[in-house]
Amino acid sequence: MYPAPLQALIDLFAGLPETDRRETLINLAESAPLHAPQEGEIFDLEDVRKDEECTDTVGIHLHSHADGTVSFRVSLGPQVQTLTRAMTSILCQGFEGVKPQEILEVPADFVPKIVGAELVRLRSQTVYYVLTRMKSAVKVLLNRQRAAALEGT
Amino acid sequence: MSDKFSSYAHPEALVSTDWLAARLDDPSIRIVESNEDVLLYDTGHIPGAVHIDWRRDLNDQTVRDYIGPEGFAALASRHGITPDTTVVFYGDKSNWWAAYALWVFQLFGHKKACIVDGGRTKWVAEKRPLTREVPTFATSAYPLPPERLDAEIRAFFGQTLAHHKAGLPLVDVRSPGEFSGEITHMPEYPQEGVLRGGHIPGAKSQPWAKAANPDGTFKTAEELRALYEGDLGLKKDDDIIAYCRIGERSSHTWFVLKYLLGFDKVRNYDGSWTEWGNMVRSPVERS
Repeated sequence: MYPAPLQALIDLFAGLPETDRRETLINLAESAPLHAPQEGEIFDLEDVRKDEECTDTVGIHLHSHADGTVSFRVSLGPQVQTLTRAMTSILCQGFEGVKPQEILEVPADFVPKIVGAELVRLRSQTVYYVLTRMKSAVKVLLNRQRAAALEGT
Repeated sequence: MSDKFSSYAHPEALVSTDWLAARLDDPSIRIVESNEDVLLYDTGHIPGAVHIDWRRDLNDQTVRDYIGPEGFAALASRHGITPDTTVVFYGDKSNWWAAYALWVFQLFGHKKACIVDGGRTKWVAEKRPLTREVPTFATSAYPLPPERLDAEIRAFFGQTLAHHKAGLPLVDVRSPGEFSGEITHMPEYPQEGVLRGGHIPGAKSQPWAKAANPDGTFKTAEELRALYEGDLGLKKDDDIIAYCRIGERSSHTWFVLKYLLGFDKVRNYDGSWTEWGNMVRSPVERS
């Protein structure tokens, strides 16, 4: 149902007591810089947006590999929220080496399994933000690939 | 007291990070962190601070409303707060949620409350101590407030509609795009289901963030007067209603108008645009 790397993370969180869940989320949030673009990296698609009112910059940087899989790098401004940082680590790991169509078909119901119903209830759609951005990037990539294929025929 | 603080109408409503740093062990105060970022407190907080979350702790969990007197007394008691405790609020986003929490405390008449100028951002920037240790305090016996003081500092839809019809001052503190109707929520923020964009006819736009400096501190009294008395033409005896999307940003403006500038009659319309923009036949202006 879920890509294998994502399933592994879901399994990691399954059954964690709330305090351990929060601790793990904070650790993942702190490791988000590991998933930032490296200097000189070239991407097939980049979507960097700045919100002037409240949230900070979130950039989605997408690699498309020759075997048809993709991987993500995410750049985060200093004011980005802890849950968003945690979800960045989770999704960069969970979607590593996964095919675009698989990512589009991933149901969002894994999010409460990872962050817990309480945090989803408290901050509802905030926890889905990075997932939505990544899926949007994948859609654009697929559209471009389809357009390129049509041009080639 | 600094010149900046003493120029405010109610300087006692604001404390500095220096003031707080010297009183971390003072039993007469309770430090409360209130954030938009729900996990931020867990990552480290001011020593001795407790966490109050606007959604979990201050909102009724069923009806769109705030907790009642029983809920407030239980919340205060849980954190060892008594009516004599000075509650010192701070938080992220230039004290956005700290102001919201203070406003809710005032709905129950807890007047001994203040905000740390600059909030969490300034405390962290000054490299002051943070801890992940969650403090516990002996439960207090906070007396049940006789009522929630909605009439004093809170406005409901009908009152706001009457305010609009009477041509009384309405301050829209949302971003310019929300005010004009171009967007119905803050960019990148969750869409909270508003069917119409725009603003209450007659409302004047003054985005809340203009009252804050980049380091999260409040602007000086002189700068604030220029924003609200100068730009908007508000006068001291005006009856003012501020609103935003759900009443959180307008809490910040409410605090500025009431405590820093000394406007006596200021109410926060917490139903704000998520109520007004969905209400059938409520008047809407776009610009």
